[in-house]
Formats: sequence, structure tokens, C-alpha cells
Amino acid sequence: MNVEIAELTRRFGRTQAVAGVTLELGPGVFGLLGPNGAGKTSLLRMMATVVPPSSGRIRLLGRDPGGYGPRRQIRRRLGYVPQNLGFYPRFTVVEFVEYFALLKEMPAARVSRAVATAVERVGLGDKATAKLRTLSGGMLRRVGIAQAIVNEPDLLLLDEPTAGLDPEQRVAFRALLRDLGQQATVVVSTHLVEDVGAACGRVALMDQGRIAFDGTPDELTARGEGTGAAGDAPLERGYSAVLAQVRS
Amino acid sequence: MDNDELIAAVAGGDDSALRELFARHAPWLAARLRAVLPAADVEDVLQETFLAVWRGAGGYRLEGSGGWLWGIARRQAALWLRRRGNPAELLAALAAAGDQGAADPAEVASSRAQLADAVQALGSEGSAQRETWRLMYVEDRTVAEVAELLGVPAGTVKSRAHQIRRLMRAALGGGR
Amino acid sequence: MSDDVDLDRVWIGVAAQVWQRRPGPVERAARHLLRSPGLARALVTTPSLLLGWVVATAVVLLAGMLATLGTGTPFVALCAPGIAAAGIAYAYGPGVDPAWELSRSAAVSDRMVLLVRALAVFGLNAALGLAASAASGTATAVTLGWLIPMTAVCALALAAATVARSANVGVAAGLAGWVTTVLSGQIAAGRLTAVVTDSALRLPYLAFAACCAVIVVFATRQNRPRGTT
Repeated sequence: MNVEIAELTRRFGRTQAVAGVTLELGPGVFGLLGPNGAGKTSLLRMMATVVPPSSGRIRLLGRDPGGYGPRRQIRRRLGYVPQNLGFYPRFTVVEFVEYFALLKEMPAARVSRAVATAVERVGLGDKATAKLRTLSGGMLRRVGIAQAIVNEPDLLLLDEPTAGLDPEQRVAFRALLRDLGQQATVVVSTHLVEDVGAACGRVALMDQGRIAFDGTPDELTARGEGTGAAGDAPLERGYSAVLAQVRS
Repeated sequence: MDNDELIAAVAGGDDSALRELFARHAPWLAARLRAVLPAADVEDVLQETFLAVWRGAGGYRLEGSGGWLWGIARRQAALWLRRRGNPAELLAALAAAGDQGAADPAEVASSRAQLADAVQALGSEGSAQRETWRLMYVEDRTVAEVAELLGVPAGTVKSRAHQIRRLMRAALGGGR
Repeated sequence: MSDDVDLDRVWIGVAAQVWQRRPGPVERAARHLLRSPGLARALVTTPSLLLGWVVATAVVLLAGMLATLGTGTPFVALCAPGIAAAGIAYAYGPGVDPAWELSRSAAVSDRMVLLVRALAVFGLNAALGLAASAASGTATAVTLGWLIPMTAVCALALAAATVARSANVGVAAGLAGWVTTVLSGQIAAGRLTAVVTDSALRLPYLAFAACCAVIVVFATRQNRPRGTT
């Protein structure tokens, strides 16, 4: 199990962003669905060790991120693409990916090959030495994915990763996710339901800080059948049905 | 961009031009090398070849991109084989591989036999012709290097090379 | 025929060498000193250690030096702390680092980066300032004396920047604090340079710097709550 979470909560002032989540994740691609404000980003940030929980238990890659040493070990094997990915305009693609490879304490001898592999894997081989300020939004997002996968992480966390990618790039991205999910735990947080259906073996639906559904995409689709819930696609209908149920 | 433009771009430091060059030419270079070397060695030699292209693109004199690239690949392969102490036959086969269109190992093997016969026609081991052939075509050295090693003027080396080519062509049956 | 040759792998080998960035001498030295290539890279990319910034600092101090030579007032001693404070505030943090969130999930601790960068900026400013001050013929006591108020002002700037999560707030606090101190020295003792030359102030400065350091440590702790979901 790469992720073990029990009764996790996160409070900001008086808001409870995450109100008691229990999850266990092994290798594979795991989709985290939910409306804006459901707590997906907070949950992801706790898994990325950026923010500690207010209460509850969390173990990542078999370690407790509360301590400095284990947290550092976890972060070496972690990949994270935040929702608001900033970039250094003067850096080139390769420099940016290399910077984070070094910050993840990859052995210096392995870095240049790992960077080349990551850049080619996201399809930016012909832009490798272009400065980041010359790239489009979709390309920048792919740079973000490249820095996340450069250390071949055991735990890969992606927050709204397909924003700005065109349909062809989304297909390539999903293929990449499936490929990565063979060895690692990949958690994709998104509000785009179709992304989830195509790439994820398991899906959780979050609403108001809690998990309202945890199962396969087919099971989510089944929840929407015959309920007359809103949605253009079966998975969307399942999504609406579960939300409606939880809120009633 | 055509090949000459790509090489010029590479000389100017454009790495995406190198990538394009690789995409276009690595497959056929790999095929030719594969006729003579095992796959793992081909990968290493090809990598050294394109690194040499990256470093040496400034020396391209519009002599034809295919020939220029193959020349670099052949030199890198020869360096590789020399470092590993491989027998001379492989080096000779390498030289022959460059002149052939086909990459069929059976053809190469029969050519090797033919090549061995043709080499005999140059003279006995240690003779001036044989030595010149060995240094120029097996060890792939430049005219200047051969002249220095043999202690003869460059002009002598060139005329010997001309004679060697004539003799080899005749022995191999009209330059296959 | 050559299906067994992995051309993608070959290209990666070529690309790794062609795209590789070779670190400069400063970074190589930092790698040995800090024993961390990541920390070394973070150090050489400090916004306030970039060439433009360093040149600007040198120019300001040069102007101060010339002014001192001309008028006798130790301008370098008066300017240097303010400049250093601005440099420190722009060393690291959410106001300065666009990829802040990513940096916070990195194995190299952001506190280490902050410490290393702040020390480097301080050291560089101190060295430049000392050189300019010595060259402008100021008395040794003054030359060395301002290092202590400079420490205090830098600590203030850093504390403000880390608490407010904004480099600009840090700069403002540092400059405001320093100007206030200098002016109050003027009012109390009638000399602008009182804050630098008065040795009775040294202990308070250092105590203040220590307090600010504690605030910085507290503000950069791991489990500090963030404002957004």
C-alpha cells in the first residue's frame, strides 16, 4: 500500500476542507472527482506533504510524513503537479525539470538521462531548450508533468492536470497515466469526468470534505442508471446521481 | 528543411535540428551497422555517431549528407571495435558494408570471403600495399596519419591508395 | 532487420548529453561546500544573487562611497543595511518564487534553502559594503559597526517576509525599520550616523535580530496553516 489514510481531516480557520477521509491505495490510477470546493486539492496537498493533517492518520510509501527524515524520504519518491503550477520564465524546459530533479535529491549522475527521458515522454523533445516564457499553456502543463515524473515516483499526484491540453494531448496523457500506474500509485484530481473514465481503474467522489463514493468507473456508471440524473454521458449521470443522493 | 540545412542548423547549436536529423537518418544507419555489429553495440556506436555529429557539424562541406553521416558512423564503429580489440575481419566487413546497399548477413559473409581473397591480391602481409590498406581501410586512419606511421610522404600514400582501390575493384569483380 | 536496435534509447543517450547543463564554477564550489547539488542550484538561482541585482548593489554602494568621499558623511554605512534588507527579502519565499508550492514538496527543505540563500546574500552585501566603506576612508569603528545594525535590519526584513509570505512586505518592513532607526538617532543625538556609531545600541540590535530569527523559524515551520483549500 502506497497510501494509507484513516479519518483524515484538515481545517483552515473555521472551514473543514477535509472532514474525515479514509483511503488505501496501491499501484494503479486512482481518480478523485468532485465539484470545486469539495476538498480534493487539500487532500492532495496532504498526500504531497505540503500541508500536514489537522487530525487522523496518514502513511505514505510506508512512512509517517510527520517526521523530518521520513518526510524527506517520501519526497524523494514523490511526484506532484499542483493546480497552479508556477514556472521560472528564464529557465528552459530542461533546466526546469533538472532543477526539480535536483531538489528531489536524485543522484547527480542519473539526472541528465532522467531529464531527457521525462521531456521526451511528455512530447516536448523538440522544445527541450526553449525558454518557458515562449511556451503555450498546454506545453507548460506538460513541463509540469515532466518534472513530476523525472524521478520515476512511486506516488504521483496530479491536480487538474489536463487543463489546457487539447484532445489529442489528453489521449496521450491518459496513455502515460496508464503506463505509470503499472508500477506506481497515480492520483488524478479532476472535475472532468471523462478524463477519469478513460484512465482510472478506481474512482472516488468527494463532496464537502468527505468521500461519497469509492469504486470502479463502471460501478459509478451503474449508480446513475434509471435515476434520471443529469448528464450527457453514463459516467456523468452516475456522478450527478451520487451527488444528489449525498446532498439529500 | 533539407539535410544540408539541418546540418547547418546543428552547427549553429540547434538541438531540435539534431533531433530531426536523428529521426531521418538513425534508422538506415542502424540497419547498415547492424549488418556488422550486434544490436547492443549498434546502439552505442549510433549514440557516439550522433554526438560526433553534434560536435562536428561545423566541418560539413556540403559533400552529401548521407555519405558524410555514414563516414562518421563508420569511424565511430572502427574506434569502437579498435577499443574492444576486435579481429580485423570485422573491421574489413565494416569497410565493405559501406559500399553495399544490402544489409543481409549472408551477403556480408560471402563478401568477407571475397574481401579476404582480394586483400591477398594486394601482396603479402607486411608489404607496403598491405600495410597501407590495413592502416587506411581497416583502421580508418587519415592520409596524414598513415604517412606519418609509414614514414612516407602523403603523396605516396595517396597514389598507393589509388592503386589499392584499382586492385580491389578488379579482385572483387567490378566494384559491387 | 534492425528491429532489435532501440532507437528511442539511443536518442535519450544523445539528448542527455546534448541538453545537459554544465554547472558554472560557483555552483560546482557550492556543491562541494553544501554537499547537495539541489541546494547548490537553489543558491545560484537566488533572485537577489543574480548578476543584475549584484551589479545594482555594487553601483549603489559605489555612489555611496563617492558621496562619502565628497561630503564626509558615511553614506555607505547608512545605505548598506537597507540594500541588504531588500536583498534578503528577495532571497526566497512565496512572493518571489512562482513555483513555491512545488518547492514545498521537494526533498531539499525550503528552510535550508532559505538559510543558505539568506546567508549568501548577507555575506555578499557585507563584503561589498565593507569594501566600499573601507575605500571611502571611513573610520574602522564605523566600517565594522554597521554590520550589527545590518544584521538586525536583515532579520527584520526576513521575519516580515516569511510571516506575510511576501517579499515586498519584507522589503518595506526592512527599509521602514531602518529609516525610522536612523531618523530617531538623528533626533535623539543630532547625528544621522548615531545609530551606527553608538556602541550602546549593539546589544539591543543583536537581541532584536535574535527575536526576528525565532520568528522566522516559527513562520517557516512545516505545519503552518495555509489560507486556501
